[in-house]
Amino acid sequence: MHYVIIGNGVAGVTAAFALRKRDPHAEISVIGGESDYFISRTALMYAFMDRMNLRDLEPFERQSYTKQNITLLRGWVSALDASSRILRLADGRNLSYDKLLLATGSIPNPAPWPGLATAKSGLVNFVSLQHLAECERLAPTTRRAVVAGGGLIGVELVECLHHHGIQVDFLVRDAWYWPMALAPEEGELIADHIRHHGVNLLLGHEITEVKTDTNSRVSAVRTSQGGELPCQMLGACIGVRPAIEWLREVQTPPALGRGIKIQSDFRTSLPNVWAAGDCAELPTGQVEQIWYSAKRQGELAALSMLGDTVNYTPPLFFNSAKLFEIEYTTVGVRGAESFFRRLPGKNVSIRIMHDQGAVTGFNMLGSRWNHTWFEKWIHERRDLPYVLKNLHLAQFDVEFGRVSLSALGVAS
Amino acid sequence: MIKPGAAHALLHSIKNRGLAAWVLAALFTGFYLVLYFTEWFSPLAQAIGLGSKWTLYGTLYTLAVTAGGIHVIRKYRHNRYQVVRTIVVIVVQATFAYSIPMLLKFLHQPEYYLSYFWPLKLDYLTPSYIFSLPLPFIIYSFVGSLVLVPILAAFFGKRWYCSWVCGCGGLANTFGEPWRHLSDKSTTSWKIEKVTIYAVLGITVVLTALLFISYGAGKANPQLVRTTGEFQSYYGLIVSSLLSGVVGVGLYPLGGTRVWCRFACPMAALLGLVQKVGRYRITVKKDMCISCGMCSKYCEMGIDVRSYAQANQSFTRASCVGCGICSEVCPRGVLNLENVSSRDPQESKLIQIQEVAATRPLI
Ligand SMILES: Cc1cc2nc3c(=O)[nH]c(=O)nc-3n(C[C@H](O)[C@H](O)[C@H](O)COP(=O)(O)OP(=O)(O)OC[C@H]3O[C@@H](n4cnc5c(N)ncnc54)[C@H](O)[C@@H]3O)c2cc1C
Ligand code: SF4
Repeated sequence: MHYVIIGNGVAGVTAAFALRKRDPHAEISVIGGESDYFISRTALMYAFMDRMNLRDLEPFERQSYTKQNITLLRGWVSALDASSRILRLADGRNLSYDKLLLATGSIPNPAPWPGLATAKSGLVNFVSLQHLAECERLAPTTRRAVVAGGGLIGVELVECLHHHGIQVDFLVRDAWYWPMALAPEEGELIADHIRHHGVNLLLGHEITEVKTDTNSRVSAVRTSQGGELPCQMLGACIGVRPAIEWLREVQTPPALGRGIKIQSDFRTSLPNVWAAGDCAELPTGQVEQIWYSAKRQGELAALSMLGDTVNYTPPLFFNSAKLFEIEYTTVGVRGAESFFRRLPGKNVSIRIMHDQGAVTGFNMLGSRWNHTWFEKWIHERRDLPYVLKNLHLAQFDVEFGRVSLSALGVAS
Repeated sequence: MIKPGAAHALLHSIKNRGLAAWVLAALFTGFYLVLYFTEWFSPLAQAIGLGSKWTLYGTLYTLAVTAGGIHVIRKYRHNRYQVVRTIVVIVVQATFAYSIPMLLKFLHQPEYYLSYFWPLKLDYLTPSYIFSLPLPFIIYSFVGSLVLVPILAAFFGKRWYCSWVCGCGGLANTFGEPWRHLSDKSTTSWKIEKVTIYAVLGITVVLTALLFISYGAGKANPQLVRTTGEFQSYYGLIVSSLLSGVVGVGLYPLGGTRVWCRFACPMAALLGLVQKVGRYRITVKKDMCISCGMCSKYCEMGIDVRSYAQANQSFTRASCVGCGICSEVCPRGVLNLENVSSRDPQESKLIQIQEVAATRPLI
């Protein structure tokens, strides 16, 4: 049995280890185009800021792969023939498989702005190691940069550029910061914090045109508000999408939508081919683009490949992030009503959303929480008074640093 | 990418085993060699009114802990655990390990360091020395080393000593801050550490036993006394001077700050064993780790914290000194230092809900 996995991201590598755990003898190969070894792209920013080096981004010791007898291949897969079960790499190598997992992850959404056609350099993304290299190549000759897109990757890139002494204009289309996740109060808190660092956050701004200099490097952008912002680097952080373009060209493409369409057991429309992680589109049409989902999907896809019955439904949404210094924890969904409190003068706030007597979600800024409790309370459909009474159980702040709930207006 | 500017290039070199780091390491090591094996510092010490080279060393040490500590407090000012811990480190150094012994000496009492215990300080259970002290010191030594130290470790982990009280740890966590990430994280190092640290502990215990035997039965057996004496002086040279001083601090810029604590300190070995069965642990928040590796990178003891975090596994490692930096640098707030007991109602509830969460998807 030869299991082949395309993509050495967290989904692919988790799947490889899960396969090995159950099948000690099978041949397992993992192909990756970006790097020789699995790296955590979540730490790209720390490499950019010199807080880590590239080797530190590898979550597993290199010897783990040899110990587990997993073959790592470096290269880009460019052709797939599911009828004869053969893959071809861009460098011409062929590889046959018995069972195949597509775990190709995401690529950045392409920048749509007029004027980019003439730009040969200056436009950057922040998703892969190659993007990091390009950012590091350009940063030393950059005094001002524009970053467009207020999601988490955008904020991380802004923090990095700012760290290197580059003046950043941070363009966000929305009326307040990150409306997808935050209510206006929290959006304002975060916006103030970003501005406090000296970043020029411009809400309600979009790029309308990109200008270039005589060397075809980005030199300025024009915005929907009419202004012109000079810049030598332009970061496009306007979301990511499944890395499936190459599959449209192959002999036997699987059914594709936004991503590779899968059943709840991770099977694609092709026989003996599964998909998991950022590249997979669930039967609901949903594409999960988060680390723990990719990990969980990779593990379950492996079980499905091994013949187990698997029926994946995404868990209740939770996540955490760090926006400059402010930590953020979220669980669940919005509700009709919400309980919001902010610690006076501090970047600490809590929001507990509820609907018809049951809590539905939590949005917490500036302090640490163990989301497992929140999941439990939502699951048990607890009401607000119950949750407030027990809120202290979920606090996860460092010792001596516990945020005072009574100061937050939560009587306990 | 290194920040632009010559100052940052130099800083990078110092922190990342560049040329500047090698130069510094040579300077530090040279300093210790001169201190331990020559009297060159004595005239200097007398000239500035500090009496002996050891008082001069103590003064420099205290200054280094204080200055480094102030830097650390500023750097981690948003983290109360770090602030409180660092203040305690500075105060303990300035009092128990510096001014109180000086005061004792001034009052014609023995120069006793209240913050040191056996087996880190062999003298404090060396019968010929300790029984020559006034009774309160004898009691403090025995009760401290054999009762207080292990009991506190059972409740709070070894951190109460290694990163709150101990001078070696104190220097590492203050002056040594720029080099904490240099500890080697490989499993090979872990294997080596387990052999060397327990070997040193074994040697220390054997030596202490011999010291007691030759103290008690020495008159009948002068040969034993002589051999034990030789053993003791080699121990002093190799363990106390070379390993804890020259290698331990001299090589900060190359090997990181806890080489001594991790590979050789008998006190750390003993406390680690208690810690394994005690209440202390690092709690890992379920499924929140993004494998970024900041925790492992900045662990001064070379623990691959990430390997536990990404496996959703709360853990207690014997070597963990509880400095709390993994929890501080984790961008997702995954880690927390805790003293737990399975009897805590909150703890059993948490275990229960984590089991539920693990076995079935929520909603
Ligand atoms: C800067 C940044 C920060 C992030 N931070 C967070 C965070 O804090 N929390 C969170 O939950 N998520 C975060 N994410 C998202 C998270 O990283 C992804 O959800 C996760 O990496 C997806 O894993 P994956 O294995 O599906 O895909 P990927 O990690 O994208 O891995 C896929 C791999 O397959 C390779 N590949 C693709 N096509 C081919 C081919 N044809 N041939 C060979 N190899 C191929 C790619 O080069 C890539 O290396 C972040 C993402 C970025 C970019
Ligand atoms: S720092 Fe936090 S998120 Fe990063 S690897 Fe460690 S535990 Fe995981």
